[in-house]
Amino acid sequence: MSHLGDRLSALVDGELDGAERDRAHAHLASCEQCRTEAAELRILKQKLSTLMTGAPAEAAMTKRLIAMTGPGGPMPSRRGATRVSRRPGTRGLRGARSAGRRRYLMLGTVSLVVGLGAAAFSAGGGGEAAPGPRITPPVEIYSVEHAITTGQVPFAPPEISPASASATSLP
Amino acid sequence: MFSPSSLVSRRRGEGHAPLLLAAALVMAVPGFLVTACGSQPGTGAARSEPTQTTPTTATAGGLVADAGQAPATGRRLSSSARALRLLSQAAQAAISMSYQGQEVVTRWSNGSGSVLVSDIWHVSGGQTVTQTLAAGNSLSSQPYLSSDDDSQAPEGVLGVTVPLIGLLENHYTVVYSGTGSADSRTAQVVEARRDDGSLAARFWLDDATSLPLEREVFDSASHVISQDVFIQVRFSSQAHPAVPAAPARGPSDPPGPWADPLSHTQLLALPAQGWLVPAGLPGGLSLFTGARTTTSTGTVLDLGYSDGLSVVSVFEQRGHLAAKLDGWQRTTVNGQVIYVAEPDQRSLTWSSRGMVYTVMADAPVQTVDAVIGVLPHDKPPGFWKRMSRGFVRLASWVNPFG
Repeated sequence: MSHLGDRLSALVDGELDGAERDRAHAHLASCEQCRTEAAELRILKQKLSTLMTGAPAEAAMTKRLIAMTGPGGPMPSRRGATRVSRRPGTRGLRGARSAGRRRYLMLGTVSLVVGLGAAAFSAGGGGEAAPGPRITPPVEIYSVEHAITTGQVPFAPPEISPASASATSLP
Repeated sequence: MFSPSSLVSRRRGEGHAPLLLAAALVMAVPGFLVTACGSQPGTGAARSEPTQTTPTTATAGGLVADAGQAPATGRRLSSSARALRLLSQAAQAAISMSYQGQEVVTRWSNGSGSVLVSDIWHVSGGQTVTQTLAAGNSLSSQPYLSSDDDSQAPEGVLGVTVPLIGLLENHYTVVYSGTGSADSRTAQVVEARRDDGSLAARFWLDDATSLPLEREVFDSASHVISQDVFIQVRFSSQAHPAVPAAPARGPSDPPGPWADPLSHTQLLALPAQGWLVPAGLPGGLSLFTGARTTTSTGTVLDLGYSDGLSVVSVFEQRGHLAAKLDGWQRTTVNGQVIYVAEPDQRSLTWSSRGMVYTVMADAPVQTVDAVIGVLPHDKPPGFWKRMSRGFVRLASWVNPFG
């Protein structure tokens, strides 16, 4: 008994015409081995079909994510976009996606520049980082000398903490 | 009664000729002269005028306060020889006599006043001890005890010292105003008047001993800005002063006391050593004394300026202000960011060009603001300089080898 051979895959792919397809179906009805092979081929084709339909979507998503990372990231392929846009009905959608990527790129660039500028402006404040001791003026020592200079008693008594000492406020 | 918390001893020489010193500095260090010296004092946006009005004081006996009522002549009147003699005698009496009493110091500034009470003991020609209470009662805070070993410039004599009398004579017209009373004692009254005739200060000098008993100081708007009263005064003939024992120095005390006043030669040499030494400051304040001390963070220079009534001490120390200043409040004077010490509000500090400046002042607010204005301040960096400095700092932060 002759089995279907290469015609089995053609049958599964739907490439056989009417008379050839009928003869193949008649053989499958009587041949357990070919039915098993045909079933396995359909399952394999279904799995491959599933893989092939998911891969393009994931690739596009990857490109968009890379584009959103800002300057330095890879630019989306314009050649691919042009080729795809030839398909009728998809040109507007692809153009909108490209404009969106450009907006993301622009927004990311501006945000980066503004953020860096604000950080630099903030970090650039304060005095120069010059050498020398960091000093808290010793008021108690100065007060004594000032009292000598003025010929009066020190108005800010030494060793009185700001929290505990205060001159009496007059109304 | 009180538990002395600190003792600060220092020596001061005899009052030297402040005018000669100022003149010598003008000739020798013109590059350090303050160009705004003698200009009109500025006004600080963050500070207000004192509002206390001239009182008619009961302690002045038959006198009636007439600050600002004298006609403006536009010509400097000559000082009274009698008045100058009385003041000179008062300065000498503060040194030569033995006395004790209580001094009440009242200051008005920024629309409010504060008062301080101190007990004072002085031995003839010797030690002066002041024991100060912060708020005029014995329960408020720790006392302060200081000791003046040689009593050449004793504290608690209402600003009547030999150097200040010399400056007062030069900047004001000093006149004798008759007799009055202070602390229930007969007093000779001497006034200091400005060139326009307005009253700047009034002194009550004890008729029997010449010791200063009371002083009032007025600003140019005839507002009293300070009143110092010496009360419960007892002299050596009545009771020998029982000077409190001086406590031993503690490890937290300053490493060394303020040295003797710098000589003219030493003052003239300071600019070459990198110190800023203006010969004068706004408000007619002349440099009349200087001293140095050493702290844990380095040498501190004190320069004393006065016109005889107002006194401004400028402290200089190399370094930068600490990032966090406990007890200091950030404020703005003449557009400059400075820090004001609490609670006295008379001490101001900032740093510029590697030097920390601290100003302590017994002077009108306008004068203090003008003084702050002429001393160095760092200009805020421009936009591009600040951005450049910021990028450098950011780069140093992310540089793993930095």
